[in-house]
Amino acid sequence: MLWKKLLRDMLSNKGSYLSCIVLIVLGLVFYMGLTIAVENMFRGKEILYEEQNFAHGFARVESMLERDVADLADEIQGIERIDGRLVQEVRLHDEDSDESIYLNLISQNLADPGRLNSYRVTQGEGLVEGSANALLDTYFTEARQIEQGDTLEVIHKGQLEEITVNGVAMSPEIIYLCPESQIYPNPEQYGAALLPLKAMWNMFPDMQSKVNDLVFSLSPGADYHQVEEKLEQELEPYGLKEIYHRDDHLSHFMVSEQIEMMEIMGTFFPVVILSVAGAIILVLLIRTVEQQRTQIGILKAMGYSNREVLLHYLSYSLVLAAAGGILGSVLGMMAAEPLSDILMEEFFALPQEYVGISPAYFIVGLGLCLAVMGTAGYLGSRKVLKLFPAEAMQPPAPPSMKENILERIKFFTSMLTVQGKMAVRNLGRSRGRSAFMVFGIAASCTMVISTFSLAYESVPTFLFHQHDEVEIYDAKINLVEPLPREPSVREVATHPEVSRVEPVAEVPVGISYRWHEEEVELLGLPRKGRMYNILDTDLNRVLPPDNGLVLSERLAENLNVAPGDTVEVESPFFHEEVHLEVLKVLPQYSGMNAYMEISALEEIAGQGSFATSLLVEGDDIGSKKTLAVLNDNYGKSENVAGIDGWLTMREELLEVWSTMGIIVRTFPVVGLLLSFAIIYITSFIILSERSRELASMRVLGMTSREVLSVITFEQWFLAFFGLLAGIPLVRLLLIAFAREAATDMYTLPVEISSHIMLTGVLFTALAIWVAQRFALYKVRKLDLVEVLKSRE
Amino acid sequence: MPKELVKAKNIKKRYQMGEVKVYALRGVDFSLYNKELVVVLGHSGSGKSTLVNIVGGMDKPSEGELYFSDQSLHEAGEAELTSYRRSEVGFIFQFYNLMPNLTAYENINLSVQISNDPLDVDELLEQVGLNDRGDHFPSQLSGGEQQRVAIARALAKNPRLLLCDEPTGALDLPTGKQVLKLLRDFCINYNKTVVIITHNTNISYMADRVVYLKDGLVEWIKENEAPLIPEEVSW
Repeated sequence: MLWKKLLRDMLSNKGSYLSCIVLIVLGLVFYMGLTIAVENMFRGKEILYEEQNFAHGFARVESMLERDVADLADEIQGIERIDGRLVQEVRLHDEDSDESIYLNLISQNLADPGRLNSYRVTQGEGLVEGSANALLDTYFTEARQIEQGDTLEVIHKGQLEEITVNGVAMSPEIIYLCPESQIYPNPEQYGAALLPLKAMWNMFPDMQSKVNDLVFSLSPGADYHQVEEKLEQELEPYGLKEIYHRDDHLSHFMVSEQIEMMEIMGTFFPVVILSVAGAIILVLLIRTVEQQRTQIGILKAMGYSNREVLLHYLSYSLVLAAAGGILGSVLGMMAAEPLSDILMEEFFALPQEYVGISPAYFIVGLGLCLAVMGTAGYLGSRKVLKLFPAEAMQPPAPPSMKENILERIKFFTSMLTVQGKMAVRNLGRSRGRSAFMVFGIAASCTMVISTFSLAYESVPTFLFHQHDEVEIYDAKINLVEPLPREPSVREVATHPEVSRVEPVAEVPVGISYRWHEEEVELLGLPRKGRMYNILDTDLNRVLPPDNGLVLSERLAENLNVAPGDTVEVESPFFHEEVHLEVLKVLPQYSGMNAYMEISALEEIAGQGSFATSLLVEGDDIGSKKTLAVLNDNYGKSENVAGIDGWLTMREELLEVWSTMGIIVRTFPVVGLLLSFAIIYITSFIILSERSRELASMRVLGMTSREVLSVITFEQWFLAFFGLLAGIPLVRLLLIAFAREAATDMYTLPVEISSHIMLTGVLFTALAIWVAQRFALYKVRKLDLVEVLKSRE
Repeated sequence: MPKELVKAKNIKKRYQMGEVKVYALRGVDFSLYNKELVVVLGHSGSGKSTLVNIVGGMDKPSEGELYFSDQSLHEAGEAELTSYRRSEVGFIFQFYNLMPNLTAYENINLSVQISNDPLDVDELLEQVGLNDRGDHFPSQLSGGEQQRVAIARALAKNPRLLLCDEPTGALDLPTGKQVLKLLRDFCINYNKTVVIITHNTNISYMADRVVYLKDGLVEWIKENEAPLIPEEVSW
């Protein structure tokens, strides 16, 4: 019978319970959807890595004979296998395009079937010896609408070569591809191609029988750092450029970061949402137990034990948990596949080996719900244990009749109507209820502002800041190797379409401080330059220093340095290690760099004046005209690795945003739903426990609006404090989230503009107003006789 | 010689009601016997409800001794008192206190579910004259009908002791008499001990014994040599 009582109690207050279920469902959808998508990505990654022997380490050299590579495995303990490859970035010759299109050619030694970093054909056929045939990466092929059998012309050092496309392949090192110094894929302009090693030797005769890239796997139990140290010594004579672990390989890093980010989101959002649901259930049950004191007394009088009565009230939360948990788990499992599809079709070329619907997820999701809501339910209903039957059947002791602090402000209370005075008196008498209302509004406001801020400020800023504020030029000429600075600038500046040229020196360095070390790119910038801007948090330009370094925040955090500290800087470009003072630490949302004045950098390097790229501003700013001119003049130059157009890169970013935005723009919807659910429930808890009081006022002759004004006055008064409390809470929440989500590749800015704040406040106020319309409807519908007849 | 069912010795009870201390019982001595109808009489605040709550295991005395058969209730723990209420006591209240979200039938069944030796619900409904109202909710029943459901619910557990706190307090005279008749009939036909708490002296005339409480003490106890039948009672 108590089950029937439970279900009918819930039906009579279905609005509040439904809102709780909505919150639980939301929390579970996030949890299940993201957890399964993570599992799908992880599974795809692991399968590909295992299948194609993904290497543990990578090294780049100037060149060495391919036959010398195998000896290294015998000479260096810890290396299980080492393969040499030829890796070369070339430009695609496309007369219809003004933009530079890059293809990273990676060799495959077909004579060695057990080679590292092999490939899985997804379309077409595999590679064959004897000709320049290639397998392309998935996204490049789709973006450029290339088909099997097509011929591509590539340019290298001024020479044109032809490649035949055999098909499309996946490989562990090309799961995520993006141009150097960028973090977003640009498949229309950057891709990878796998070619037979011998074919590549034919294409690049100066590298015949040689390799410039090595990949190696470690023996079980081997220590990578020891291996790296020995390998460094062995490879120095071959012009070693860099050695790095798999963890620093861009593709692996991005996949791992994506998985980690989704794991964080799959924990963070559900924890927040389920906590809010749990808090609401806690309060709902506290109120229910209070309202049903007499019924509890009767049950105990009849002989129901404490355990049976407690279980009955606990069941309220367990029913909600079960309903929300089941529905949320099912919806979450359904959402996982489309989410996985978006990730793997748009960003990560992974095999779609989905885990499928598993009872284990369902059990975990449901178990999580039952645990959280069960705990909240127990805490909310444990008061039944303390109620003796006789005591339960008496009304509770009346609250203190002393004036509260607001009532003592006579000037204030003299301005109030009777309803206003009632409201003020109630605020003091029901402190718990008032605190609950303030918490509800603060939580609601926090949800709305934080989700709007993420969707419309933080994420877009992070995405576009680098291109809209930092790097502002029409074109960037990337040089194959450092060239003398002044002659290069003069050469490009001669064109009438070019109005300004600025050099940039990009030097790979290792920066260390005590036991912390990071490998980054140090950028040398001209003091009076305006096309690459170092900006502070207020977007004020900071001049590149000539007597120290400016570090990005993430870099400074990793090194554990602050302005005033001195760091050691070393580089293959420097003759010796140098000590430089950290002068400033500034935000950088994309990547992790150090900066100094270009002449000062040249002095340290001791290589004379040089530039690795040139930033160009045209006379027709914002158009592609300058890019076209530069491509015509330098597109086939053997000194030019490529020419990037700012406008094209921005268009690519907008495309990325259009996909990412689908997911990100759900955040405010979630925030609004949460906000409304919280306020609706808090309003109805308050309304239901005061129905007798409100009915009495109606009997006296007050209209529904006059009666409701007692509650609305209280709510708006409390809303003021709730909204004030919500504002610092938002900042704390966003800072915590940004800190968790930050990586070496990107950092999420914490931005809460005044108009987002205002939007959040207005939406919360709207939610309060809408909830009050529902409350007005309920007041109008009060059965006065029924309410006044009952003793509860 | 009637068998003693309940024995109360020097029962005292103190309450803290907000900021006020209340001495509800100041040392009550009395007994209840098998198969008798007892009226506990007294004005409002005399301690009669408190006494019945203690006898019914709903509350514990601050001092004194209480026995049901040979079972000590004043030293009983929560579990023992629950078991006592479950199997030995049925309660009827002035304002019925039915579960608003359960039908008449379901309210009675609530008792049946926890009883080891329950009475039949349909029979009880018939005996209280509500066999065609079993599927009605309390809000669909009159005051008298609700009280009859409450009586059926209390009896469904087949308790030895029935405690009724102002059972006619919210009812008109004819309905009240109906309820009193039911209580009398159950006392006689089912051999129950029925205790009625009331401030209404006229009801005491139908009792086998009357216990008069004043200011938390038993002022007097008397036997009615010729108790009236409920139909003859009037107020």
